This record gives sequence, structure tokens and C-alpha cells, in this order.
Amino acid sequence: MTPGAIGCDAQPRGTSTCAVWGAGAMAGAACGGEEARAVCTFSPRERRLFAISSPDGRLQVWDTASSRLQQEYVPSAHLSAACTCLAWAPPPAAARPPPPSKDGPQRKKRKSEVAEVDKQLDILAIGTAVGSILLYNTVKGELQSKLDGGHDNRVNCVRWHQDSCCLYSCSEDKHIVEWNTQTCKVKCKWKGDNSSVTSLCISPDGKMLLSAGRTIKLWDLETKEVYRHFTGHATSVSSLMFTTVKPMNENKPFDGITGLYFLSGAIHDRLLSVWQIRSDRKEKNAVMSFTVTDEPTFIDLTISEVKEEPVKLAVVCRDGQLHLFEHILNGYCKKPLTSNCTIQIATPGTDGDSTPKPVPILAAAFCADKQSLLLVYGNTLQPIIEKVSVNTTESPVCLIRDIQKVLSLKTDVALTKVKTPVVNSDTKVLVPGIPGHSTAVKTPSAGKEKKKNKRKSGETEESIEERLGALGIDVTKVKTPSGLPQTDSFAVLLVQGLESNDAEILNRVLNTRKENVIKNTVARMPVHAVIPLLHELTKRLQGNPYSASLMVRWLKSIFTLHASYLSTLPDLIPQLGVLYQLMESRVKTLQKLSRLHGRLFILVTQAAASETVQDVTEVNQTAKLVYEDESSEEEGSDDEMIADKDSDENWDEDEEKEEQSDEQDMTVEKEINGDSDLEPENESEEE
Amino acid sequence: MPVPGGSRRAAGHHGAGAAVPAGKMVAPGALRVVRCGGSPRHGARAVFSNDSKYLLCASGDFVKMYSLATEETLRLLGGHGGLVTGVQLNPHNCMQLYSSSLDGSIKLWDFMDGIPIKTFTVGHKLLALYALASSEDSVFVVVPKSSERDTFQLVSVKLTKAAGQDLEAKELSVVLDSVDASPKCIAFGRAGEYVASVKEVNLQVYFFKQKQLNRFSVSAVKAKSGNNHFTCVACHPKEDCIATGHADGKIRLWRNFYHRKEYTFSTLHWHHDTVMDLAFSVEGTSLLSGGVESVLVLWRNESDYQKDFLPRLGSAIEYISMSPDGAFCCTLHTDNRITIINSNLRFSKSIQGLIKSMDIKTGLVVDPRTKALVLNGEPGHLQFYSLQSDQQLFSLDIVQRQYIHQAGLKQVDLVKVAFSAQGKWLATVEEREEVTDPELQLKLWFYDEETQSFKLNTRINTPHEDHITGMCFRDMDESEDDSLLLVTAGRDCVFKVWVMVEDTDPEAQQSVSWSCDFVGSYHNYQATNCCFSEDGSLLAVSFEETVTVWDSVTWDLKCTFCHPPGKIRNICFGRLTCSKYLIGATDYGFLCCWNLLNCALEWSAHLNILVLQPDPLSEYIAAVSWLSKESSLFVFKPNEPRPIYIQRNLCKEKIQLAAFVPRDEPEMISAEKYLWLRRSQLFFLTDTQELMTLSTKSLEERLTPASKQLAVEEGLLVTPFSLLFGRHRRQQSQEDLGKLAVHNKHWQDSPAVKELLHTPAHVLPSASFLCPIFINSLLISKENKSAEEVSDEVEMESENTEDDSDEERDAAEMEQEDTNPMELLGETICKLSKSQDKELRKIRKMDYSWISAF
Repeated sequence: MTPGAIGCDAQPRGTSTCAVWGAGAMAGAACGGEEARAVCTFSPRERRLFAISSPDGRLQVWDTASSRLQQEYVPSAHLSAACTCLAWAPPPAAARPPPPSKDGPQRKKRKSEVAEVDKQLDILAIGTAVGSILLYNTVKGELQSKLDGGHDNRVNCVRWHQDSCCLYSCSEDKHIVEWNTQTCKVKCKWKGDNSSVTSLCISPDGKMLLSAGRTIKLWDLETKEVYRHFTGHATSVSSLMFTTVKPMNENKPFDGITGLYFLSGAIHDRLLSVWQIRSDRKEKNAVMSFTVTDEPTFIDLTISEVKEEPVKLAVVCRDGQLHLFEHILNGYCKKPLTSNCTIQIATPGTDGDSTPKPVPILAAAFCADKQSLLLVYGNTLQPIIEKVSVNTTESPVCLIRDIQKVLSLKTDVALTKVKTPVVNSDTKVLVPGIPGHSTAVKTPSAGKEKKKNKRKSGETEESIEERLGALGIDVTKVKTPSGLPQTDSFAVLLVQGLESNDAEILNRVLNTRKENVIKNTVARMPVHAVIPLLHELTKRLQGNPYSASLMVRWLKSIFTLHASYLSTLPDLIPQLGVLYQLMESRVKTLQKLSRLHGRLFILVTQAAASETVQDVTEVNQTAKLVYEDESSEEEGSDDEMIADKDSDENWDEDEEKEEQSDEQDMTVEKEINGDSDLEPENESEEE
Repeated sequence: MPVPGGSRRAAGHHGAGAAVPAGKMVAPGALRVVRCGGSPRHGARAVFSNDSKYLLCASGDFVKMYSLATEETLRLLGGHGGLVTGVQLNPHNCMQLYSSSLDGSIKLWDFMDGIPIKTFTVGHKLLALYALASSEDSVFVVVPKSSERDTFQLVSVKLTKAAGQDLEAKELSVVLDSVDASPKCIAFGRAGEYVASVKEVNLQVYFFKQKQLNRFSVSAVKAKSGNNHFTCVACHPKEDCIATGHADGKIRLWRNFYHRKEYTFSTLHWHHDTVMDLAFSVEGTSLLSGGVESVLVLWRNESDYQKDFLPRLGSAIEYISMSPDGAFCCTLHTDNRITIINSNLRFSKSIQGLIKSMDIKTGLVVDPRTKALVLNGEPGHLQFYSLQSDQQLFSLDIVQRQYIHQAGLKQVDLVKVAFSAQGKWLATVEEREEVTDPELQLKLWFYDEETQSFKLNTRINTPHEDHITGMCFRDMDESEDDSLLLVTAGRDCVFKVWVMVEDTDPEAQQSVSWSCDFVGSYHNYQATNCCFSEDGSLLAVSFEETVTVWDSVTWDLKCTFCHPPGKIRNICFGRLTCSKYLIGATDYGFLCCWNLLNCALEWSAHLNILVLQPDPLSEYIAAVSWLSKESSLFVFKPNEPRPIYIQRNLCKEKIQLAAFVPRDEPEMISAEKYLWLRRSQLFFLTDTQELMTLSTKSLEERLTPASKQLAVEEGLLVTPFSLLFGRHRRQQSQEDLGKLAVHNKHWQDSPAVKELLHTPAHVLPSASFLCPIFINSLLISKENKSAEEVSDEVEMESENTEDDSDEERDAAEMEQEDTNPMELLGETICKLSKSQDKELRKIRKMDYSWISAF
């Protein structure tokens, strides 16, 4: 048997008062230690809300879907009467009459519907350390009522009855109280144990009540008499839960309670015990037990309704780990069961502190689909709620979460609900022309195999081959230096740079502007270096447009000088595909650019002309005598510019003309290019 | 304007739905169309309850009551048959609310309990409602003038105090003629002494006492910059000052308007476009204004220099209202959001359901991670809308550019969204509409679990040269990363396949990024749609009239399908057992089903299908058709040409978007006909952006899952003061309510009456003897004990609840009071000394009638 159970067995039932006192004191101390722990609970059914009460007495209600603080409530006496337990009012019974449709034409129906809405209140019962129970309405966000006069000591557990408006509470003062929540009065109060009663649970049919101090008792709610005793735990029980709603063997008639299993966990106990309610009164020991790494602090389970369906159990321990169990309950099991899956959360520990730190899990609950879990972790003041679907086959699972970043991203959402996704500088940017933006040009023969190659890392292989080949030839090449040392050294440098992939050398070589030098270098360059050079140039073309203007000169001379070599290459099309696409995409904008350029050119010349005119008005005035030539309107003489200064119409006309006559534009543009090297984009046009 | 209501009434089966017997949930009740979000526009300014805890707001045909503490909808006051156009607290009882509607009725509500108290039928369309403290029993409404079209008048309606729920209110008296229809164009001045109304370029002020009407106007054509028509008006609560907003963004403050000539006005100008609403603070020291800029401006001391701003409110501000204690201000926005702002201009709360966006281009997408519905929100954002709670979860800022609110300015907006099967990847396409070529960007986001947020992985500029018409991920549930593909189809006649590649560049920090793998085209036709088969092996891309099917491994064109004439509008593959079928809808009105095995047309139907939506969890496909001004729903399995379910007359509006949302747990539906609803739920969005669904349950049941049927008494009377006050008030209210009931009960239960009515006539004494007894029995006796002495003993018994005089009742209550605190307060109250007790009694005897004013 489990150690806890053995301990219980060893203890005789009729213990002396002294012993009970001792146990009570111990439990009290344990509860005192617990004081620092947050009390939390999920709202029933959809688990839409999560209520957590921090040690300072504030109650926070979080929205689980958006992990957002929905409301905060500070009881007036939160420091003296801290919250000790929480219980959400149960969902309405499933078989509720459907309210009539809103669109019903009958007015009468409408009224009844409105009334229906009225009664729907979402109530959270809060037990306090001084013995009062607060009913807090989570829809309105205000305190609804206060149940007083039942207990005169710390309330240990609060449970709602499923159907009637009853609330059960147990306290350190050894009593169990049944409340009528409609009148806020004590309905019934009875002594539940010789020591403090720490936990309660109502049977699925609502007719029985489990209570536990250290031993567990099953009460008949009608007569308030003890129906069964169970040995319980050595320490005070912190959680009680029914795990089944129907007995597993259906051949016997079901009286609502016999054959059901329930689960209990106790403080300082690393075993969760499962008990079965049997018809024979003899059996008092646990049926089986689950072992966890530390004291359980939060337990959630899915109730199995079918015999074959396993009970799923999620246990959060004090050490911040979550254990998942899956077990089909069918009678005895001697050995304590270990968890199917353990979940831990840790920080990545990459930046700054290199050691990952564990993040405690505060609570966990199964979602409605019984597959995914809602995890609450982090600080009790700012918990993070996340929905995870866990693959239970692999264990243990360690989730890595960057708490700091999550919280910093969350703060924005709290009020405006606007979430800003992370955009880093390391994002890959694809613009037209860059490889990857469009599919690579393939030779028609290149089939699927080729593509597969490409998708992996084909390029590196090729380049190694090339390099090896190049290395061999290079040695021979170096031996035959002749002619101009200047350009030759450039060629050598270039080849060396290409082989070693040395950016510095390549920069030195490729950034030359002199047409002549480039031509000579390319001419003297070994043939095998042409393709690497082309690749290098393509890479550089993708970058800064300014560097592109320099690279274009190189390209030009390569194509003029090595065209014959290139045409012999069998895989020329894929080799130059990227370059081709790059050119295409760049040239695509040429038309627009040249149009823009044309307009700008006119503007600039006009501005310049008007300026010069203003400067030399005196001089021009004299020349104005020669005014016979009226035909030369087209040439846009200076005089016309003066005239046009104010009238927009003529100007427009001019512009249109410019657009119409593209050729004229081009010539103008050429002139500009000749004059200044300011427009690097236009270089590509020369290709 | 019965538009919002019309759609719901269109659901043909409501009669049957109401007839479903109680408790039989799974019974094959009729399927109803239920509206579940995207509430129609706000008709009026919102109203705060007197304690500033609740907000009451007109929303379509309903008045919604929100809790300010939790942002949750507390109540839905329904009953109006048209758009609610006015909501006003009853100035004489702060627990009551007047609401007016286009259906021509004014309703009085007890909003805390959600009970309609009275309905006054006016008969005309009511366009605005104003309730004043100064007018005893009448409210002011704006009604259309009966003789002329498009002219409206402000009338005061006398609300009769007669008993009964449904009353006629026909006593109308015209206050002002030719007013504007908008509720913002009329405001009542200090203590209801005058009313100001604006229309076009005229401001008229009517003084009730003097019966004097002053008209002022601003010059009609002033500048090119914009017209200076009036748009809204507000009156200073303490001084004689009227603030008017104008279409050109100016605010004018009018003073001294008692004189026709010597009036003055000053101008405040910050807004660059129409001022949409104005509101004075409670004390009148500051003025709030809002407009399309979505900036709330606070003007202090009516000065042009002292102003504060709250920018980035998301969308244009339509109405501004202040809470009675001045602690909060509430703005209603054009996109249906409600923002609560506290007194020092900070965001306090925001109540937002489905945000209305200009144009939903993204379609309805379900996020596999949060199970939220994803669609366009505010410009450049994606809204994640939780269907369970009818709330916006969050809005994801994809474009990350400041939105500039200016007419005619074209801005970047989201046009396409796709999620990968597990929600790990998100692809978005944003576009700026340009005449020649649009500015396009395709972004691929990775969900980073570490930071619990999406992270941009790859940005592709100009992925296509023209608009992107379709985008989809290859959904593989096992989701090995190398099987993940994204396909985009564009109007530039190609479709592109994007794959994830490992980055070879050592400098790159990311391990993977996306790049193009294949570009496909077909005869230079525009690609319009794309979709993958369930196993991901086939890709179907529609090119105008043709559907092409491609092998997703080799990218070979496998076969083509065509059903001329008519271009393909939608395509989808069948699933599970029907995976050999491909379904397409053409804009020529045909729904075709092709068999992929023999490449033949299996069946076709003549239907004008707008939406084709396969259920991701079953074989069923939902198709929504649009024919003769109504939408109909057809649910079918591809392997049989006969639809499984047909709902004609789904709604009167066009339905452009629909989505199947998987249920968390399969619903128990026994009826064969509705099996298709078992695993997922169908949602669809109408043209007016109302989200609807088909359900056997009603809206309330679905939306408040965590609620419970539990009436808990509010038992928080813990201080002696509240005990005193609370008791008194409660008693009074009970008295108010109970009077009528008591009255009725009284004469029905009276034994005298019974005797009179049930005794045979020949046994009865003479009529002259019976008469006084009968009359007396009908009277509610007060203090006249003589009358009681006259009446016989039986009657005494019946009336003994009534016959206490006021003083006696007081005494009785005092006794109660003495006992009650004992119970409730325990020792604390016992410690009260005799003198204190006496004092309390004294207080108790005082007149509390003024309390009712609160």
C-alpha cells in the first residue's frame, strides 16, 4: 500500500484528543505555509475565465482565450480576510428548455426570453480566512452578497451544488455548513470532523457529500449522516474529486453512489489516492494511487462516461511541474502509477543569463475537446495562459517560453487589444529579381531530379568542383604572366579573390571605374573564372543600386569578350537564369523611370533656364531685338520660358509632347547619362 | 429602415422553433438562422446609468446593457420592431429607461431587471428621443412630417400615466419645424430652458418660456475648402452657450443668442474633416469633439490653445456621451466598437464585438490555434473574433503603418489571409490599390511559441504583378515542414508555388525562409482560384473558364475541366469518401461536379452559387446561392447530386462569405437531416456584415455558456446607513410596483364582492343596503377609520393589510428595524446607544421622497 495509506491505517480511529490537537496544529501550520500560495480556479464548461487570488487578497479574473486581465476585485477586507478558496457556480443543467427564438413574432415569447436572460448570473464564491464567504458576480464585476455567520474560522473549501442553489463550505472550526444562496442564510450546519475539515466534494447525483480532514467521510445530504468512512491521508486532504459518474460494471443496479471512484490528494503527500465506494463497508483502503514529484496544488480531470474511456488527470505540483495521467479505472492496482507525461516550462536562457530558468505552472485544465490543455504559468500577478495540445507519447515535455517577451508583448493588448507581431531585421526580404522571388530558369531537360538537388544544397557542391578545377588551372595560369603588369595583377587578384571568396580583394578589383582597366582585366582573365565572376557579379547586382552601376560595366565586357566561351556551356540557362531575371525585373521599371526622368529633366532645365534668364536679364534684353524668329517654338527658347512661367497650360502641353515622343526622351536621356553618372539605374538600359 | 430586423425575420422557421417543447434539445427542431455577432449600427448616443457602472447602448433592434467593470453584456432589452433610435434615462427615476424606435413606439424599461414597464405607441417613425427633467410627463421626439417627405419636426409627446402596459400616446405638440433627422442635431439647453436645432447652415434656438424662436445662419458658401454645414450641436450644462460642429471641421461656440442681432460666436478649429459629435463635460468646463480622424479632442476653457488629444481610437467617432459623474466618457464608433475613456483621457475599456470593416476581402478564415474567426478588422489589421464570447480577442497589426483618415487616400489593406493546418504559419497579402499596378506584399509569419506571437519570416514584394485572387496552404495534418506549400494565384495569369527552404547564407539568422518553387500558367488566362486536394497531392487552379489540375510533386498539368460558358467562381475538392470529386461553381449559374478518376462530369445543377464551402471535418459541402433577391443554402455530398439539406430564404441579403467552424465536441444531433452540423458549425456573413449561423439553439444559450440560472439575493446591507436607506427605498419601490396589483387583487378577493356576485339574487338584501358595502370594498381606505367601522368584519379582515395609517406603518417598521439589525449585524448594532437609536429613528421619520430622484 502507499505510505500515506499505511500511515492512516496505523492510526487508530479513536485517537486521543491530544493527538487530534497535534494533527490540527500541524494542519494549521501547513495552511499557514500555504498562505503565500495563490488560489485559483477555472470557470466551468468552456473554461473561458480563470480566477486567481493573489496572496495580498486581490482577485483577478483573466480571459483564457486572449490571456487578458478582464477584471480585478479587491475585497474591502482583503488584508485581514484573505481569500482561501474559490468556487465557480456550476453551469446550468444541460437540459434547459431552449428559449424561444428572438425573431419570434409573438411578443409574449419575447418577454419570457428576457426574463431568462436575467437569471443568468455568473457567480464566484470566495471563502475567506475569517470565515465569511463572498459571492462575487463576474459578469457585473461587483460583490453580490456576503454569507456571514456560518463559520468562525478560516473557510477551507467551498463547493456549489449542481442543481439547487446550495453552497457547501467547510472550515477550520470543524463544521460543514449548507447555505441557501438565495436568502444568504445558513440552511444547515453540522460538525464534520474532530479536527478541521479541509475539503469537500459533492457526488455526481447530488445526493452525497464527501468531506475530508484527514479521514474521508461520505455524508448523506438528506439526513446528514455518515454513510461511509475512508482512511484518508496522514496529512490533511487538500483536494477531493469524483472521477466517474457511472460505475464501471453495469450489471449491477446503480444507486447513484456505489461503484464510483474518487480521487484525493493531501498536503505534503506525493501520492494521489483513488478510492472506490463499495457496497460492503469493509474496504477502507485506497484502490490505487498516482505518484507525483511534489505536493499537488491544482488538479483537473476529465470524467470518463464510457467504460473504455480512460480518465485523464492533470496534476500541477508545487515544484511547478505538470503531470498527466491516463488510466482506465477498473479495480485494484498495487503499485503507484507514474505519470504518462510530464510538462515543464523554462525560459530559453539565450541572451544575458545563459542558464534556462524554470517557469512554474500554476494551473492546468483540459479543454472541452479533452485533448488540449490550458496552461497557466508564470507569476501569480501576471500569469500567462496558453492553450497547448500535448502529445502524451513523448515524455517529459519541456516547453520553452520567453516570459519577459511574452509579457512585454501582452501589455499593449490589455487595453486596445491591438497585438503587434514581431518584425525583426533578420526577416528575409524577396524583391523581384532576387533568386527565390520567381522560379529559377531551368533547362527544358532538367527534370525533377535536378530540382530536388537545388532544393537541397546543390550549389555548394558545384562550386567546390569548380574551385578544385580552377585551382589546378590557376597554377599554370600564374606561370605565364606577361604584358602590362597593372591589369595583369588585377586579373590575378580577381581570380584569387574569386577563389578565396575574399570580399576585400574583390571590392578592390570590382570597384574600378576605368573602362579600360575593366576590359583588359576581363580579357586576361582565365576562362574558368568567368562563371564564378558572373555569379559574384549577380550577387553584387542584387545589392546597392550604386554598386550595380559598376557591376554592369564588368558584365558588359564579359559578355563582349567571353560570349563564345559562354555559348559552349551546356548549362548556360540555369547558370545565368538569376542574372536574366534580375535584368528583366530591373528593366521592367525602365519605362516608368525614363518617363519620370524625362519630366524631371524638363523641370530641371526649365528651372535652370529661368534662373539663368533672371541672372542675365539685362543681357538678354539687348538680344531681344532679334525677334523675327517666331517659328522656333519647339526648341523651347529662353524667351518662351519667361512667358510660360505663370501659365500652366503650355507647360502641360510640353509635357505631353515629351511623353509622346519617347525617342526624343531617350536621346535626351542619353545626353544626361553622358553628362553625369548620377543615374545608375539607367545603366542597365545599355544592355 | 427594417433592414437589421428583416434578415432575422426572414428565417422561415421561427414558428416551428418556438413550438419545440421544453427540454427536448435533441429533438429535430427546425434549424433557425441566428444572428450571433456583428451587431448592426448604433442608432443613438449611449447612456450611462446613474452610478456609472453600466452603459446602455442602442444596437440594432435592441438596447444592450454592458457592465463597465467587465465589458460584458449584462442584458439585452429586446422588443422593438425596428432600429432603436434613442435611449434616455427617465429623468424622474434613474432606474428606468426610455427607448424609442423606428417602429413608432417608446418603451419604458426597468433596465436593472430587464423588464419592459410600458410601451407607448406614437404611430410615427421616431428618429430621436430626448427626455428632460423639466418636463413632467412628456418626452421630445423627432418625427417625419406627415405632409412632406424628408422634412422632420421636433414634437413633444405626452406620456399618459394610465395603467396598463400598452398605451397610446397621441398627444403630440410641435415644438420645432423642419429639423434634421439626426439625433445629434438637436440639443436642449441649461435646465431645459431652450432647445437648439441645426440644419444645413441654420441654427435655430427656441425658448420655451418666452416662446421665442431665434434663427442664425452661417454663410452657405464661404470657401473652397469645404462646406460649413452644421453637423451637430451641444448645449452647455451651466451657461448659455451652444457649441456647433461643422462639416469643414470647425466648432463654433455661440453666446448671447437671446438677441437676434447681437449674438457672438467664437471658432475652434482642429479637425480637418467633419466634426461628428460634440459633448460638454458635466461641469461644462471642457468640450469633447470627435470626427473621422478617430481622435478625441478635449478643449479646455473653450480656448483654441488648451486642448488635449486621445489619438488612435481605431475608427471614426460617431457619438460621444459623458457619464453623469463625469468620470467616464464613452465614444461609439462607426465600426461598432465602444470605447470607454476616463476623465484624464486614458483608455479605460473597450467593448468590441465583430468590428465592421469597409470591405471584407480576406474572407472568413478560422485560426486553428485559437479557434477564432479571422477577417479584416480596422484598416491594416486582422481581427481575431471569438465566436464563443462574441468578443474580439485581439487585432493583429499586419501592415504596421499609421492609418491616415482622409477621404480619397488609398491605403494599404489586407486582401488575403491563410493559415497552415496547425496555425503555425500565417500568410497575408496586403495591397494598395493603384490605377495602373497595385502595390503588393506577401508576408509569411511564423508563430513563435517562445514569445507567443507571430514573427515575420519572409516578406515578398510584388509576388505577382497584378491582384492576387487566391491563396492557400497545402494542408497536411501530419505537417512535416517540408510538405508545407503555399500557392498564390494572380491576375497576372500565373500561379506561384512557394516552398520553405533552408537558408544557405551563413549570415542569415533564420534557419528557414520561403522562396518560389514553381510558376505555372495556362494559355495566358487569369488565374482566379486555387485549392489543394485533401491529401495534398493535387492542386486545382482555375483559369477563367477552365479548371486545371496539377500534380503537386512534379508540377505537371494533369487534366483540365471546363463547363462553358461562364467563368469559374469557386472550386473545391471533396473530402474523405468523396475525395475523388472536384466541385466548381461558374458565374453562369452552374454547379458542376467532376470525377477525377475518369475525368468526366459527374453531375451539374443550375444554381447561381456565390459561396462554396467544404466542411473540413466531413464530406459535406455548403453552397449558398443568390436568386431572386434571397439567399438559399444547399448542403450536399459530392457523391450524390441530391442535396441533403436545403434552406430557402436564408436571408434577404447577399451572402458573400461563409465558414465552417469545427466544434470542440461533436454535438448530439439525432436527426438525419442535420447530421452535417454535428462536427462543425456554419457561419456566414451578410452584406451588412452581420454574422449569422444556423442553430437549433438560440443565441443566448450559446453566448453565455458560463452563466447560470441562479438568483442570488443582493444581501450587502452591512452599514447602518445603507440598512436604513436601502430598506426604505426597497419598500417604496415595492409599493410603487405593487399598487396596481394590490388594487386588482383587492376587489377580486374581497368577500363582499364575492358574496354579492355569487349569492342568488332572491337571497340578497336590498340594493340600497348592499351598495355602501360594495363601494367601500372598492375603496382603498386611508385614515378614515369611520368607513372601516361601518363595513362589516369580513371586510376588515380583507383590508387589514391596508388599513394601517402612515404613522402606524412607520411604527411597525421601526419594530422590524429593531429586530432586523440584530440578525444581520450581530453585535455591532447592539452597541448603539439609546441616544443614537433615537437619532436613527428621527432620521427614519424624515421625508425620503427626494431619494426617489436618484
